[in-house]
Amino acid sequence: MRFPRTLLTVPVAAALLLATPTAALADESVHVKLLELNNSGASGNATLTALDNGDLKISIRSTGLVPNSSHAQHLHGSATGMDFHCPDMSADTNGNGYVSTEEGMPVYGDIFVSLTTKGDTSKASGLAVDRMPIADAKGNLSYDRTIASADLPKGTVEHLKDLHIVEHGVDANSNDKYDLDGLGESTLAKSAGLSGIPEEATDPATCGMVSGAAVGSVPVGGVATGDGSTRDRAAAWYGAGGLALLAALGIVVVTRRRSYVLSRAQR
Amino acid sequence: MTRHRTHALIIAAVLAIAGAAAIAIGHHDEPAAEPPLTAPPAAPSSAPATKVGHDVLTRGKLLPASVPTRVRIPALDVDEAITGLGQEPDGSMQVPTDARTVGWYTKAPTPGSLGPAVLAGHVNFHGADGTFARLSALHNGDRVEITRQDGITAVFAVTRVDRYAKNQFPAGAVYGAIDHAGLRLITCGGYFDRRSGHYVDNIVAYAELRGTE
Ligand SMILES: [Cu+2]
Repeated sequence: MRFPRTLLTVPVAAALLLATPTAALADESVHVKLLELNNSGASGNATLTALDNGDLKISIRSTGLVPNSSHAQHLHGSATGMDFHCPDMSADTNGNGYVSTEEGMPVYGDIFVSLTTKGDTSKASGLAVDRMPIADAKGNLSYDRTIASADLPKGTVEHLKDLHIVEHGVDANSNDKYDLDGLGESTLAKSAGLSGIPEEATDPATCGMVSGAAVGSVPVGGVATGDGSTRDRAAAWYGAGGLALLAALGIVVVTRRRSYVLSRAQR
Repeated sequence: MTRHRTHALIIAAVLAIAGAAAIAIGHHDEPAAEPPLTAPPAAPSSAPATKVGHDVLTRGKLLPASVPTRVRIPALDVDEAITGLGQEPDGSMQVPTDARTVGWYTKAPTPGSLGPAVLAGHVNFHGADGTFARLSALHNGDRVEITRQDGITAVFAVTRVDRYAKNQFPAGAVYGAIDHAGLRLITCGGYFDRRSGHYVDNIVAYAELRGTE
């Protein structure tokens, strides 16, 4: 009886598929250093963890931000492999001493994900200050959110290391709040149809760069990579070898002695 | 009379040769010498940068993510296929189900991309020496070549080989954040506890990406 060829090859292909690692490529934790921008005095650390199910867990801890104020924060960049960076002051094209969000965009890219505290996380929520985290009275900001994979732009997890976290909100006139006296009106907000928003509220305060990566889910304890089954094999061989050598020696001694005794008896 | 004697001497000679051979085999089967129990490396010194303007805070060449398929360690005569490893229900790392196959821990970076990639292999299993039986004999600078699904072979160099008690496993040093593309090769070592059926220590070889082929 003959089997159609395909019937035989399907199980083989399935077995091969099972034998190769099928893991999500990015179950890892990317560490980001938030560096001061615009002499804001702010800095921080962030962790982006890609979870098994494709969700993205974001954790941000920053200090030195404008106290009691909301800070718009985003993942900037793209999932198309563009080579973005954090800007330095040379990006300040209008020369007002501050790199604005628009001036930074050619360097760190457009808003990719809005890191809001709840609800929508798309670019449309980029200036949703009522859903952005608020720094405490000391200027410390703590943010934790897991964004469902369905809400992430395509390629986010794959390009995690190409994205830059930017936190916005500076205090140019050092009065611990955003006001129009600092840097005037935000051109970014105005172009988005929001008038009267201070430029201080939208200028970037920190820009994050990837500083390292870690295992996404740390295994518990040590690794059970051995059952001891060949551990004593060397000793067994040594024992057997020693016994064989002893036996050989014994035979030689006995044979010699016997031939000596016999030859005396024959005389 | 002399015929008996000749027979006896032939048997003695055969026994002597067999005995010497057995001792030679035993010498060959001797477990590899192991490093003493080691303190793990300090956490990598975080980049001192506080202001933007630096292009990168990471070190060395970095590859995009791609699943590993094969590992070669010329110094140990190792050339084996790689399978994926997850976690057991108790949270510990799964291990390969045979002595030869090397496992890649899938909940971690892929070899050659930023962060620590983790490979585990048996020192011995079901009566056979494992692929990582002589892991502790690796020296600094020894090459470890990982072939990946994208066709790139990531070439690593060993930077240290440590032995840790499993009950004090330094998760931070082995699995924590690093600023380069790293590799961890893990097997068992130290005293074998017959009652538990497990070794009490792990051997961990650290390596860094040096280039591609
Ligand atoms: Cu932004």
